[in-house]
Amino acid sequence: MSEKLVKTPKPYMNPYLAGLGLGLVLLMSYVIMGRGLGASGAFSTATAVAINSVAPAHATGNNFYSEYLGDGQQSPLKDWLVFEVLGVLVGGFISGMFAGRVKKSIEKGPRIANSKRLIFAVFGGMLMGFGAKLARGCTSGQALTGGAILNLGSWAFMMCVFGGAYMFAYFMRRQWL
Amino acid sequence: MMPYFKFDYFGSDTGLFFAFIIGIGFGWFLERAGFGTAKKLAAQFYFKDLTVFKVMFTAIVTAMLGIYFLSVFGFMDISELSVTTTYIVPQIVGGLMLGVGFVIGGYCPGTSVVACSTGKIDAVFFLIGVFLGIFIFAELYPLIENFSNSTNMGKVTMPAFFNIPYGIIVFLVVLMALGGFAGAEWAEKKFGYKKVEVINED
Amino acid sequence: MHELVNTRHNLQIDPHLHIWGWEIGVYLFLGGLVAGMMIISGFFIFTGRTKNTKCSCFLIPIIALIAISLGMLSLFLDLEHKLYVWRMYLTFQWTSPMSWGAWILLLVYPVLIVNVLLKLPEELYGNFPHLRKISEYLNSSHSILQTIGMISMIIGASLGMYTGVLLSALGARPLWNSSMLWILFLTSGLSSAAAFIHLVAREEEERRMLAKADNSFLIFEFVVIMLLLVGFLTSDQVHIEAVKLLLSGEYSAIFWVFVVSLGIVIPLIIQLMAVNNKIRHTVIAPIMVMLGGLILRFVIVSAGQASHWSGQVFR
Repeated sequence: MSEKLVKTPKPYMNPYLAGLGLGLVLLMSYVIMGRGLGASGAFSTATAVAINSVAPAHATGNNFYSEYLGDGQQSPLKDWLVFEVLGVLVGGFISGMFAGRVKKSIEKGPRIANSKRLIFAVFGGMLMGFGAKLARGCTSGQALTGGAILNLGSWAFMMCVFGGAYMFAYFMRRQWL
Repeated sequence: MMPYFKFDYFGSDTGLFFAFIIGIGFGWFLERAGFGTAKKLAAQFYFKDLTVFKVMFTAIVTAMLGIYFLSVFGFMDISELSVTTTYIVPQIVGGLMLGVGFVIGGYCPGTSVVACSTGKIDAVFFLIGVFLGIFIFAELYPLIENFSNSTNMGKVTMPAFFNIPYGIIVFLVVLMALGGFAGAEWAEKKFGYKKVEVINED
Repeated sequence: MHELVNTRHNLQIDPHLHIWGWEIGVYLFLGGLVAGMMIISGFFIFTGRTKNTKCSCFLIPIIALIAISLGMLSLFLDLEHKLYVWRMYLTFQWTSPMSWGAWILLLVYPVLIVNVLLKLPEELYGNFPHLRKISEYLNSSHSILQTIGMISMIIGASLGMYTGVLLSALGARPLWNSSMLWILFLTSGLSSAAAFIHLVAREEEERRMLAKADNSFLIFEFVVIMLLLVGFLTSDQVHIEAVKLLLSGEYSAIFWVFVVSLGIVIPLIIQLMAVNNKIRHTVIAPIMVMLGGLILRFVIVSAGQASHWSGQVFR
């Protein structure tokens, strides 16, 4: 019986169809809430809450943290993006589960060691976290969301993301190819 | 009148439930598209697999057209949509950092959540990195606050900035996307994975 | 005790009840979990599964003993006058669910201990030969086992119902004023227990059976929640205002996201796939079910305290 469970993962959706679905979700978000999607904002809230629980005085003294901590009327975790990212976690898992793609693994090219890949992952994440705060959003919160309502800053940001990635891709080829 | 939340059809607590449902949809389509694996995402930057570009622009075009037509037909008050303020220089710098981070780390914050949920260890490490990055940003914030808030252009959209009617910009974006899709298909044929394998066999 | 017997006649009830913190939520959850464990393990014993030495009905009573003790501890922590706890047992107030509960809890212990005595580790038998005799006696006839199983199920069900009745008997809070509440807590206790036993069971067949049972409990729980909400909505204005706390108010996000979605619907989807051999059984769904059960108690306890007969909401 257990052999029957080991299945080859289903192929991915047609990219245009997936894009259409994603676009409709984004549209729904605008129609219902008047705002788009996001991700990095939820992590900022989580960071602020974590720092606030360890060093409250430090957190309230910092303009960045205090902005995410709100006015103290209700828990800062009762935030739109926090609940949205929770949904992303669940939605991703369910989709992966239905397609047989939930599997512990490290995604990388064949020419790089696992430990090196993980160090790169942390380092890339740090750049992303820092950059996303500077740009007031990440690929979902700024490029996708702002792109759909033709926000000037979002389009400039999006061009820079692709530009930066293509410029630096050469140096990272051993990791992926 | 849309957007419903801005016209008080429901409260912010109910909004959180919608956030969760919308997030499920978001995560579902990200995973379906294959954004749960860094290999597929990074392949974008070597012209091997342009799924990222295709999905992203189809999504932008879909949502943009939806919003445009809903507002043209009077269902939606477009001025109620939340627009983030443009700080052009910090956003350009941030965008470049994100791009470099993307190709080093292999994910962006949203896709890393999806990858975490499907068991990708590298995504977990990436997410730890994101938290560290935000932490560093926050700790340095007193020093970079001035730069971060510089070149404030207000809440400005492309039609307003270039002084071109909204519909024309929408049309141009659609044209650009269609051109981009054609280019992407061509690039995949030329540089895509299958071709590489054939060359290796020769 | 005193303030809850004389409902409303004291400062801690009006204008709003603020005496129950996390302890009561934890206690109600553990009580419900133990109730479910006793029912399931009693059912296993009743149906003769003790022939299988790997049956989880040997392990569950031990865990249940620990869990109910932890629950009692958190209940004890909540008491204002901790040293007077023994006074509960000098009296039996048949109109007070608190009193009923105190005595049911006292009955839970001997029943669980008899359950544990069915089979003990070999080392214990070596040191205490009398214990082996007791175990042999308990296992000697089918009818004894059936009686033990039946009593476990009855006491378990009483415990599960009591956790809900405890709240709904307190007339001062409209949100607890539903006769569905005990059914909800009993079902939720059963689903949590099935999920938990599913985690620790060693027999593949038992695990599959528990996953299936858990799915039915979850579906039933979902229906009960809907009926509970509909019941409130079709009631008078005070109850409508009270249930709005869960439908659109302060507690709605936690209720719908953590209790209904993450605690019932999504684990149900995952377990339905697992039962149908589409995916492997993992620990994810059972943990989600149990967390959902815990958060359900927290939400009901704290939203209930915020609801009020005047139709207002106090924080």
